[in-house]
Amino acid sequence: MELTQNEKKLLVALAPLGSADATTLAERMKTRPEAVVQYANLASERGLVEVEKHVALRYLPTEEGQAYIGKGLPERQLFESFGDAIPMRDLQKHPLAKIGIGWMRRKGWITIRDGVVHRTGNAPPGPDEVVFARLGETGEVPAGEEGLLDLVKRGLIREEEAVNYTISLTPAGRDLLAAGLDLREEVGTLTREQILSGAWESLPLRRYDVTKLPRRVYPGKTHPYQRLIDEMRRVLFDMGFAEMSGGIVQSSFWNFDALFQPQDHPAREMQDTFFLAERWPLPEGYERVRDMHEHGGDTSSTGWGGRWSAEKAQQCVLRTHTTGLSIQHLAVHREPPVKAFCIGRVYRREAIDPTHLAEFEQLEGIVMDETVNFRHLLGFLKEFYAKMGFDKVRFRPGYFPYTEPSVEPEVYVEGLGWVELGGAGIFREEVTAPFGIEHPVLAWGLGISRVAMLRLGLRDLRHLYRSDVEWIRETPIYGGGR
Amino acid sequence: MDPGDAHLRRGAVRVAIITLSYRYLERLTGVDRGTIIERLPMIGADIERVEEDHADVEFFPDRPDLYSPEGVARAMRGFLGIEVGLPVYDVHPSGITFSVDPGLADIRPCLGSAVIRNVNLDEESIESLMGLQEALHWAVGRGRGKVAIGVHDLDAVRPPFHYIASPRDRSFVPLDFEREMTMEEILVDHPKGRDYAHLVENFPRFPLIVDADDRVLSFPPIINGELTRVTTATKNILLDCTGTDRKAVMTAVNIICTALAEAGASIESVSVDGEEMPTLAPSERLVSVEECSSLLGIPLTPGEMTRLLGRMRFGAEPADDSRIRVEIPCYRADILHDWDIFEDVAIAYGFENFDATLPAVSTIAVEHPVTRIERAARAVMTGLGYIEMIPFTLTNERVLYTNMQRPPLPGTLRLLHPISEEQTVVRTDLLPLLMEALLANKHRDLPQRLFAVGDVVEDCLTYQKVAAVSIHPAADFSEAYAAADVLCRELSIGYSVRESADPAFIDGRRGDIVLDGKVVGVFGEIHPAVLRAFDLEHPVAALALDLRAVPGYPAPPGTPSPGGR
Repeated sequence: MELTQNEKKLLVALAPLGSADATTLAERMKTRPEAVVQYANLASERGLVEVEKHVALRYLPTEEGQAYIGKGLPERQLFESFGDAIPMRDLQKHPLAKIGIGWMRRKGWITIRDGVVHRTGNAPPGPDEVVFARLGETGEVPAGEEGLLDLVKRGLIREEEAVNYTISLTPAGRDLLAAGLDLREEVGTLTREQILSGAWESLPLRRYDVTKLPRRVYPGKTHPYQRLIDEMRRVLFDMGFAEMSGGIVQSSFWNFDALFQPQDHPAREMQDTFFLAERWPLPEGYERVRDMHEHGGDTSSTGWGGRWSAEKAQQCVLRTHTTGLSIQHLAVHREPPVKAFCIGRVYRREAIDPTHLAEFEQLEGIVMDETVNFRHLLGFLKEFYAKMGFDKVRFRPGYFPYTEPSVEPEVYVEGLGWVELGGAGIFREEVTAPFGIEHPVLAWGLGISRVAMLRLGLRDLRHLYRSDVEWIRETPIYGGGR
Repeated sequence: MDPGDAHLRRGAVRVAIITLSYRYLERLTGVDRGTIIERLPMIGADIERVEEDHADVEFFPDRPDLYSPEGVARAMRGFLGIEVGLPVYDVHPSGITFSVDPGLADIRPCLGSAVIRNVNLDEESIESLMGLQEALHWAVGRGRGKVAIGVHDLDAVRPPFHYIASPRDRSFVPLDFEREMTMEEILVDHPKGRDYAHLVENFPRFPLIVDADDRVLSFPPIINGELTRVTTATKNILLDCTGTDRKAVMTAVNIICTALAEAGASIESVSVDGEEMPTLAPSERLVSVEECSSLLGIPLTPGEMTRLLGRMRFGAEPADDSRIRVEIPCYRADILHDWDIFEDVAIAYGFENFDATLPAVSTIAVEHPVTRIERAARAVMTGLGYIEMIPFTLTNERVLYTNMQRPPLPGTLRLLHPISEEQTVVRTDLLPLLMEALLANKHRDLPQRLFAVGDVVEDCLTYQKVAAVSIHPAADFSEAYAAADVLCRELSIGYSVRESADPAFIDGRRGDIVLDGKVVGVFGEIHPAVLRAFDLEHPVAALALDLRAVPGYPAPPGTPSPGGR
């Protein structure tokens, strides 16, 4: 591997010395000692230098100690301020009296009799004063000197760890130097001028280490669930379906009555559906739907019997399915063929837990044409599920209030076995006749959050709607084969 | 289309799960348990659990006749070809009469009754009968309001019987109690009374069934009397079904009588105000072979269709070249329309035998203009490095307004019966939900740039918005303005900008996006008080845009109306 420019500079600086400490080298290289150590460590990994770490204790004056440097310790200054004797009262006027008197007595330099301070001798300097004086001359003193610890205890000197590094050339380093180094400056970023002038040809471009991971960046992206929804939309577009979209708020008329759901059906109770205080007027011609409920209109149906309440039909709900949109779509597209789908949010009055939400997406598809039949319904289901990656599909009888016949498709999922996925059927004549729809309507639907759980490997449906940014960042846009 | 019902069936309380004992079912069908478990789903059932000696099976709410082992065995014998065609039940008059008090007309007017003799009850069959009764209360009786069922030990009382509107202070000993209670007390002190009090408590008089000696059999739809408790010693049963809908009441009578008849009992009719009931006679329909054939997409001859209907226990015979006369068993409450019969033809044919195929219908895909606009908005925001969120549409006023320092919009939709305090209103804006998302992701690396596209509702009108937030130490007005500007440009909105007064943003660092003199969006730096309300610690640059401002956004469609042929 190539040496960095800094390693080269280090070797050159070290060449005349053979061995030097980091501070010395830093001066020569006009950089900081920390940087020198960093370069030296790189070079030592290559065996070109040896790095030795030294830890030394050194002693520096504290703020208080600094004040006495050059003047002597307080007791010395005080001692020098009088002759053989001085009345205590006078001595106490000295600014250093408070500290000095105690120390003079402790060192035996004075005695005090009848309020008068007497010198005991000429007080030769002790080791603490000697070392303090040296500190004044050199700025620091090494460990082990006599008297140091007393000064540390007095808070005049502090102890500090000094780390230094000795850096020495190895034989391999010498060989490399002897062979000569290319010391031209490396170039990081190519400039416009270098590209245009052709200077790039002779530039030493800095080499990068590919084993070092790059900074992690994330693209802006759509939600994984939205990507699944878009995938389903694409499948349906491929199959020639037109897209429907519509309001979240529907009258009970469109959500239930138009679909021949009896007015006393449990789904119409307040514990299952979100009702709103708002009411919508019934559309013109609603009587046809009423008649269908009461006696089957002019079809072969008996209807549900009983009295149909217009008032109950006016009450608004948050749609419990998108089937109300399908029937509205068919009411204005009566000419065959019609193929349409809708993916939209639907609402159920459910307490939220990992597998139940009060709102979730539902997909719904309808096909209306003169000759479509039950076999075709199964054909559409099989095709759609296969395109979604569920190759094995089977069908069981089902029950939905607005279809007859009805079917429950099941798909085979590795590790789970057969999983019920959605429902389907042919709209009852009681549903289509009031709207003048004259041909069979194949219809199917599925809760796609269920598919999302299977496909995205989610255990908790809530993660779709209260998502962890990290999960979205780490979920690849293209998930592999599917 | 889903699953409204599949969903309901999952709801814990109202699932009609029937426990089927293999021993009993094998005796009734003559087929081994393996075959039964394998074939049962193909007549319309979900096997919930398979146990050592029984299976728990969930049947659809339109087939209450399958809510007993006898009913299941009857259907399976037909489906498997062991016994086909219409089951015929003999009914002899019992000579017993039952009167109905005209005073019940506005309370609970309908009464159905029957006498069931020579029942052979053990603990298991009593439990099975109670199970059938409970399932019928749910599926046919709509929680006992429409129909409530009582079974009585006939030999404990003396006919004739009277169904009367009684004063509310009449007392008797209710089931599971040892002392007399007034009916009003029962509604307060008896567990069943508390459960069903709402069905009767507003009436001035209560429904009551008494015998010739004025002894109480039942206080429908609440509780029977202890006097007529059915035990293993009971030999003869009096059945009462009361309710508000005659058809539903008779459905319950027919299903219980035929189930017990399948178990070996004999059925006798009762004269209710002069009408002998039940008859257990089939009803009739004339259906077209061609119509069935084209609905199902399989070629059918009258003979083939007759054979298939026989397997579903219909009486069937060709009426002419093109039609079949179908006799519908009295217990089949689900046959409203000819197509209901055709579905049974499909089931007998076997769903697994249909050749699934695509029709030759040529149509062209069309993307809805709204989703097209949403897709464009997503493209711009992801291009800017934003990550998409799909927040809930249900939220609350604290998040939507209080935390945002905004006054509530008058057109906000409130749920009448919210399920939690977190979800009480439908969102009118996306921005507050993105602020919530930032809080939820507070522990994740910054910067975070999030956006959402989706439905909002105001005054019952659904439309779409896009909103975006960017949180990091350097997020500011300029970032928000640049994003709002490029979003509008890319969506071809010829907008202008003026200073905003939106209290969710900092004064002097907020702008309104204006189109044709109308504010269609807002952007700027979120107000620090709003940041703190969402417990955020860094500046947030944000924007929101009403997608109705995008050229080509469709006008709201009018409501279609049912129309003539």
